[in-house]
Amino acid sequence: MVIRVNDVRKKFKIYHDKGSSLKERLLFTKRYNFGEHHVLNGISFQAERGESIGLIGENGCGKSTLLKLMTRIMYPDSGSIEIDGRVSSLIELGAGFHPHMSGRENIYTNAAIFGLNRAEINMRVKDIIDFSELGEYIDSPVRTYSSGMYMRLAFSVAINVDADVLLIDEILAVGDANFQAKCFEKLRELKAAGVTSVIVTHDMGTIEKFCTQALWINDGVVEASGNPSDVVRRYLAFMSDKHFAQAAAREQAPEEAKSQPENTEQDPDEPMDTSSKAVKRFGPRHVEITGVDMKNGDGVSRTVFLPDESVALDIHYKVNKPVEGYVFGYAIHTMEGVNVSGSNTQLDNLNFTDVGESGYIEVEFEKLPLVSGRYVLQVAVSDNNGRVMDYHTNYTRFEIISEDRGVGIARLSRKWSVVSDDA
Amino acid sequence: MKILKEIYDYREMIFTLVRKDLRGRYLGTALGFLWTFVNPLLQLLVYNIVFSFVMRSGIDKYYLFLFVALIPWIFMSSCLTGGSMSIVGDSSMVTKIYFPREVLPIAYVTSCFVNMLLCFIVVFLVVFISGIPVNFAVWPYLLPVMAVEYLIGLGIAFISSAVTVYFRDLQHILGIVAMAWQFLSPVLYSIDLVPEQARPIFMLNPMTPVITAYRDILYNAQAPTMQTLTMAFFFGILVIVFGFLLFGRLKRGFAEEL
Repeated sequence: MVIRVNDVRKKFKIYHDKGSSLKERLLFTKRYNFGEHHVLNGISFQAERGESIGLIGENGCGKSTLLKLMTRIMYPDSGSIEIDGRVSSLIELGAGFHPHMSGRENIYTNAAIFGLNRAEINMRVKDIIDFSELGEYIDSPVRTYSSGMYMRLAFSVAINVDADVLLIDEILAVGDANFQAKCFEKLRELKAAGVTSVIVTHDMGTIEKFCTQALWINDGVVEASGNPSDVVRRYLAFMSDKHFAQAAAREQAPEEAKSQPENTEQDPDEPMDTSSKAVKRFGPRHVEITGVDMKNGDGVSRTVFLPDESVALDIHYKVNKPVEGYVFGYAIHTMEGVNVSGSNTQLDNLNFTDVGESGYIEVEFEKLPLVSGRYVLQVAVSDNNGRVMDYHTNYTRFEIISEDRGVGIARLSRKWSVVSDDA
Repeated sequence: MKILKEIYDYREMIFTLVRKDLRGRYLGTALGFLWTFVNPLLQLLVYNIVFSFVMRSGIDKYYLFLFVALIPWIFMSSCLTGGSMSIVGDSSMVTKIYFPREVLPIAYVTSCFVNMLLCFIVVFLVVFISGIPVNFAVWPYLLPVMAVEYLIGLGIAFISSAVTVYFRDLQHILGIVAMAWQFLSPVLYSIDLVPEQARPIFMLNPMTPVITAYRDILYNAQAPTMQTLTMAFFFGILVIVFGFLLFGRLKRGFAEEL
């Protein structure tokens, strides 16, 4: 076992009124005002040579703290962390860079921070420069670099120091797609060569594809560990349930707050363009959409879906004043507002003249072949003449998690083959 | 023991920091590296005016008497005051990257030490120019004395840098502490001037034997007594061991306190 983490606990003091001067420490010891925040409550795991551990969990669950403890920037309150061999951390990339020094000089200072001596650095400096793709810029001061160049250089140093253990926190945001692919290639190479790694990421695709073991941390304890796919599935199910519970809690907010045209309970990650700030719901509501239920193949309400599972949409309605025919429709938009897909019962040649007083209409999708990302669901009901009765422009958002790293919107199932003319 | 090996593995980082510090110290100033010499010489001038003309000390060639003690003292004083900032001043590194924290005070003290060695070139020049008898046979004693002073300085920097992380006020207090320490060490005067009954207390000061030894070698042109050397060595070990252990204990909380 290269990494042995044994019952690690860590709490932080949260000072409501922190004083670090001598006077405050001496005079106000009793009035010292702090709470305790238990971040890690007994984490244990082990990793063998060449293993890749993926740490997943919500923001604030303690996974980054665990990584910081493993790098020895901080120390656990109790428990032990033992790591054999040289550790390289890809956490705060480029933290030791000096802006006025050239890229080449920074390679030397930065590699020295990883504990390499001059001879060892000399041996690696060419690899580092080649990997960073900085070319002639390597002798320019780092302050003239773009942020992408900066990160590339930092990553190149950190990954080329011959570490036995790599600790990685969301590095996959380094550089452009090409460089990312190259980083992955390098990581795979290192893994094959027996380098152990611990990765924190929100990209479930990485966890499933790259890691040999996933560790889901929730409230400072290991909620689940083992096969990455299983752990990821359980985690996503948990997150989706949680999202649902939060949405339900919001439903119970006072009615008038909800019916106001401007969206007062806007999420911080809501696209901040004007269209989403605009009307969220309109129509005279002779027929009203009272709720929409998105369900996965097992009939469980979800907002996160795997790309190959079936999705059912239950649109619940209430008829306040009968109208001439009922047309129900949906639309799926990207977060940028691009219409991905939409249809309604009329376009699909269905004709409803009487739907009773209330009920729901279900539309089932065999699967949603979309690339990973978040999408906006719109739902609407109108009469046969196209008069809108109730239109939700942003009913809910849902997420697709896919291993497919292709780009765009649609996820086309595909097969590549080479037909060479040489044969 | 493991930590000592680790510090050794990080020697390149120490060299890099020392080089950067020496190069960067006077970057952009008109006199540049000359400040290394100008500053102590100006201090010497001020003290000399006060103690050779105003409060006459009656010591022969007082400027030399003072100079051979002042340069080692300036080193110790910067270990105490400047050294206290060596962790706090690099907080962005300490909170973000792992490396043995000892590296920072070691690099700072080493760069001060190199500065002191350069100043000693001027000291030697002044010794020759002053025309006092020079006894080269006792000069080799400078090596162990300097080594011991380095250890004391490092121990002091370990203590002041680690404690400052927890008590930021210390950086302000240390200026006064350094001044008091200077006046309580035989820098401006000879230990013989201290009243007999107070002398044992003065002997508890780690700088007393060190300063005495420098002065014996360069001013009195004689070998330091065995007692002086033993005392200096004893203090050197004591301060460095205490400083190292204290630092080792306190460093665990650095990242959280910064």
